[in-house]
Amino acid sequence: MRPLSDSGARFLVAPASILAASALFGLATPGFLTLDNGLSIAGQIWILALLAVGQMFAITVRGFDISVGAVAALSGTLGVMAANAFGMPALLLAVPVGFACGTVNGWLVGRAGFQPIVATLGTLLAVKGLALLVTGDGQAVPLAAGDTAGLAFDAVIGLPPLGWAALACIALAHVLLRHLVLGRRILMLGSNPEAVALVGGAPWRIEMSAYQLCGAFAGLAGALMAARAGAGLPTEGAGMELQSIAAAVIGGTALAGGRANVWAVLAGAAFVQVVLTGLNLSGVSPFFAQIAVGAVIIASGLMDMGLRFLLSRLSRTFRQQGTFQ
Amino acid sequence: MMSKRLPGRPSSLRLPRPPAVALVCLGLFLLCCLFVPRFASFGNLENVLRVAAILCIVACGQAIVIILGGIEFSFGASVALASVVTVMALPAAGPIAGLAAGGATVIGVGAVNGWLVGRMGLPPVIATLGTLMIASGTAAWLVGGLPLDAPPSAAFSWPARGRVLGIPVPILAAMLACVVLHGLLAYGRIGRLWYHVGANPLAARLAGIDVARIILLGYAAAGAFCAVGAIILTSRVASGQPALAPNLPFETIAACAIGGLPLSGGRGHVLQVVFGVLTVAMLNNAVVLINLPVAWQLVLLGLAVLAAVGLQKDWAALKRLAGRATR
Repeated sequence: MRPLSDSGARFLVAPASILAASALFGLATPGFLTLDNGLSIAGQIWILALLAVGQMFAITVRGFDISVGAVAALSGTLGVMAANAFGMPALLLAVPVGFACGTVNGWLVGRAGFQPIVATLGTLLAVKGLALLVTGDGQAVPLAAGDTAGLAFDAVIGLPPLGWAALACIALAHVLLRHLVLGRRILMLGSNPEAVALVGGAPWRIEMSAYQLCGAFAGLAGALMAARAGAGLPTEGAGMELQSIAAAVIGGTALAGGRANVWAVLAGAAFVQVVLTGLNLSGVSPFFAQIAVGAVIIASGLMDMGLRFLLSRLSRTFRQQGTFQ
Repeated sequence: MMSKRLPGRPSSLRLPRPPAVALVCLGLFLLCCLFVPRFASFGNLENVLRVAAILCIVACGQAIVIILGGIEFSFGASVALASVVTVMALPAAGPIAGLAAGGATVIGVGAVNGWLVGRMGLPPVIATLGTLMIASGTAAWLVGGLPLDAPPSAAFSWPARGRVLGIPVPILAAMLACVVLHGLLAYGRIGRLWYHVGANPLAARLAGIDVARIILLGYAAAGAFCAVGAIILTSRVASGQPALAPNLPFETIAACAIGGLPLSGGRGHVLQVVFGVLTVAMLNNAVVLINLPVAWQLVLLGLAVLAAVGLQKDWAALKRLAGRATR
């Protein structure tokens, strides 16, 4: 039997935080604990959830990707431009664009040996600039090809269709991480890079794949963002990288790498959205929400440190066998 | 145990033998003089230096954090918060105390970062991005998101517009900042401990150094440099702006990276910072003068960071890579 300390506890933090936050906001704001509000939150979390799941892959291989917000903005904008030129399905061009940005990040980190922060900071700046350049001067590009508001907002069995689509992608990410060789290798690389080389894998290629997945998910998030807004927003996405890191870390992704659970990350994203919506409904200044996000990031980091400390204490009593889960 | 007096200078101070960044900087300067219209005029060069001055002061702070093996993203937000605090304190406290309050805010944010990184063991990215959000949220919250104008006064505008012996105050302040940083790094005990902790925190701890305290002092000192920059910037815009300098952390990190400070920490010289800053300032200025869209500044900055860090990796590895790629 696997001791709880090995994996369970860190993935329970996010659901527990959701419950605690909901209870708090429910007490403070009468309109919070209603079905309508719940559904509204459930309809809103998907952009952040996609970014956070992507970020999870990067954190799992002991990295960071601080370019995800800019990548989402660029890929969403290019997707809208393609959709206007070639029809609606071309909006999905956002995904290969994100994948390409992820490839650059992954190559720089995995192959050229850049530190993740430096590599993704460089691409953050370049991609942000590119998004402004392709649109002239940061103008929003309206989505002329068709009306996506219905897909993005009207609920079908609880969630808007694009929410279901995002959920499907996240489920795919779960299958990939848990059951496919690539996902297992990503976890393995995070917990013990030498082990990957010993079993015959190429560490740099796996690291690159992790950043590629991160980029592709950022691209998906960009497409979703464009569909929701009905326009490509080249300046959107600033601050999203922070929220995605917070969501991923609250969702139990270990900053030391090698531990991740997609559903817990989804719960982490939901927690961030619960806090934002709750603050919004309580009528505090929207700027206060920004402060709250900052506090959540730091708290998530402290939680990770605390958990590592506690679990290392606990696991001394159990002899751990495998180091990756 | 460490002896009280160590002979010679720390080897981490030595400049790489051909100071590559100085050559790059000089080359860029010549290119700009030749091909960028109106670049080589006296007025424009003074303008470049003025912009570079603020960047240089803050980059000196960033350099301390990078030598410690960290990274500091909260500078832009804390400068914005400082400007808001300053302008709000002005009517009650007067210009000097107001500016001091703003400066103290920046040092406070730096100290919080140092505490989170050193004592609580948070990764610097998480800690400084978190305080970035908190500081910029607080700045916007205090003034409701809109800039707040400051009543003009001579003392208040002196840091940005004053001249001493004909030299603009910001440029003097930047020179002073460089001298102070060099003094700390080359001759100060604390500077040597920063190198030590940045190069190998575990070894530093085993040598009996209170690593957490050294990191806290480093981030606070970085905050102090940034505070000087914040005072000059606030005085220049003469208002409290919640979105004052959003790209400041990126530009200072870029300047340090271009200057050749390894972001893994443990090494760095003040001249590298200076040349890095000059390169960034010239790039930004050239983009404006050539009449390119301002977004090119971001693109070039990003590419310059990647190129600079790429070139720092030893040439042998690059050659090997190129060999593999062509095969």
